[in-house]
Amino acid sequence: MQERQEQQEKKEIGGFLPFYTNAFDRVFISVVILIGIHLLWLRFMEAALPIEVATVISLVIGYFVVRRG
Amino acid sequence: MTISLRQRAWRLFVTYGFWIFTTIVTLLPIWWMFVVSMRSRVELFGRPNLSLSRFFVENYANVLTDSAFQRYMTNSVVVSTSNALLVMALALLATYALSRYKLTGRDNIFFWLITNRMAPPAAFLLPLYIMFTRTFRLGDWTLYDTQIGLILLYCVFNLPFAIWLLKGVIDGIPIELDDAAMIDGAGLWGVLRHVIIPLAAPGLAVTGILSWVFAWNEYLFAANLTSVQARTITTGLAEFVTVTGTNWGELAAMSMLTLIPSAIIVILAQRYIVMGLTFGAVKE
Amino acid sequence: MRNPRTGWLLLSPTLIILLLFGFAPFLYVLFVGFNQWNVFSADDGLVFNGLDNFRRLVFDDDFLHSVGLTARFAIFAIGSEIVLGFVLAQMLTRNFPGKSLFRIIHTLPLMVAPIAVGAIWRLLVIPGFGPVPFFLDRWFDLKYQIGSYPDQALWTSVIMDVWHWTPFVTLTMLAGLSAIPKEPVEQAKVDGASRFQVFWYVTLPFLRPVLLTTVFIRIMDAIRTVDEVWMLAGGGPGTRFTGIYIWRVVFPRTDYGYGSSISLITLYLTIVLCWLLFIAISGRRKGEVA
Repeated sequence: MQERQEQQEKKEIGGFLPFYTNAFDRVFISVVILIGIHLLWLRFMEAALPIEVATVISLVIGYFVVRRG
Repeated sequence: MTISLRQRAWRLFVTYGFWIFTTIVTLLPIWWMFVVSMRSRVELFGRPNLSLSRFFVENYANVLTDSAFQRYMTNSVVVSTSNALLVMALALLATYALSRYKLTGRDNIFFWLITNRMAPPAAFLLPLYIMFTRTFRLGDWTLYDTQIGLILLYCVFNLPFAIWLLKGVIDGIPIELDDAAMIDGAGLWGVLRHVIIPLAAPGLAVTGILSWVFAWNEYLFAANLTSVQARTITTGLAEFVTVTGTNWGELAAMSMLTLIPSAIIVILAQRYIVMGLTFGAVKE
Repeated sequence: MRNPRTGWLLLSPTLIILLLFGFAPFLYVLFVGFNQWNVFSADDGLVFNGLDNFRRLVFDDDFLHSVGLTARFAIFAIGSEIVLGFVLAQMLTRNFPGKSLFRIIHTLPLMVAPIAVGAIWRLLVIPGFGPVPFFLDRWFDLKYQIGSYPDQALWTSVIMDVWHWTPFVTLTMLAGLSAIPKEPVEQAKVDGASRFQVFWYVTLPFLRPVLLTTVFIRIMDAIRTVDEVWMLAGGGPGTRFTGIYIWRVVFPRTDYGYGSSISLITLYLTIVLCWLLFIAISGRRKGEVA
């Protein structure tokens, strides 16, 4: 029991984000970033590049946040 | 540190000056509403006069004898009281669970609960309207225009607030007290009744009062999800502006009448409000 | 002894109500947000149009303007409420005869229904019989008419909000201030700290959680304010906050699809803002003792 708790804490510490996160938090952050990038893309970039590029970029960022954050 | 008499007098003077000023600023709009409610239609226009010239109670008489007003008032009392009781009970259970049990992702659940209060009401009216008229139905009975519908709906914005308020209070009750009661053989209900509820009483009281006030004051949902039977007092208030070509005197009279019940409750419960509104500041 | 299943059981009524009346409408709004749905257009069903609503939204100057206005409204109103609320709470920590009477009077505005607050303030500022325009014109020769000057309308709503909600801030601050232990403050005074230093290094850190929570709650409510501002100015210029803008899109124009996508974006902005505050409150920042 104790050991598992310590493991849990360890899982919450690592990563590059400036605060402790769990899996939910990181998925949440990725979704927030995804929406943000899409909206900015629609406003500023869509004339040049199609929206799918934004999707790819945000999925990549999202992957990094979820795995390393 | 010795303070001379003169210094003390000066300090008292400043304190009272400050508070008298604050009181005037606070009361001026309410006073104006009262003055307007004491005037007939003709007297309103012309040079604005802040003093009360005479008692003209016809506005009040008109409002009070209106059968629609009486129904609205009853509805409001029933809806806000039941909502406050329901919110207190549910929030107590939910907060106890969030505070004492190791639930997966409880911080996230807590945050999600709070986000329910953030929804901009205008767009959510449409799905709610559809749900109220079509989705929840038993034969001919729907949630639309019923008190129970409003009672349940008001939980959406009252529960997040209540849980947040109580979270601080219940987190502040040492868990050892629970354990001690459990060792003495108390079950879950025993712990809640003999440990949590007495210790969290001020917090619970504030939760109840504020939920009551929020429910009493709610307008948008009540206006759009009721038609005749379950209309509440705030909706009636707004009707004065549109339907009767804005009868300011009666509108003001009704606003005064709407204010009275919540003012009484708050004055009676004044002591608890400050004790309970700590939001977990007393953790240590 | 504490079985998580019991915990979930205790939580379940709350979850069920919020899922039914909070989350289900949200899913519906999410769905409609990606559709065109205008009841009075040629074909009045839902037509899936992908991101078109959002494409329209990011170029909609009215909407962006309303976000800017809401931000200004929230910053000015909440900023003044926090400062005033703190000062008032500080004044209430002292004892003097008649204190509770002043406190009760000060709490009164909190109990007035938003719609009635709007009505009261409209009575104050309406041209023709409100005292505010009359005396401003008489004493300061100032033309005050919220229907014609957007800035005045914005300031009036800010002042109205401050009048209505400062008591709430005062009460939470008072609760926070009375929870501060006496010893550190006394110690700091003995060590020769000035009043400002005591405030900055002792009082403020203790107040931080209460302060952030209050700001959080006020932001949440300020952004969704509709009824009192609507009652005050009828959605006139200068008060077209996001909540009111959504209202205008959804009701008079019955443009449900577009209205839903605006709500989603408003909700998105609110949640992001509040989540950051939430992280700050829960003290999960690294390098800090949680």
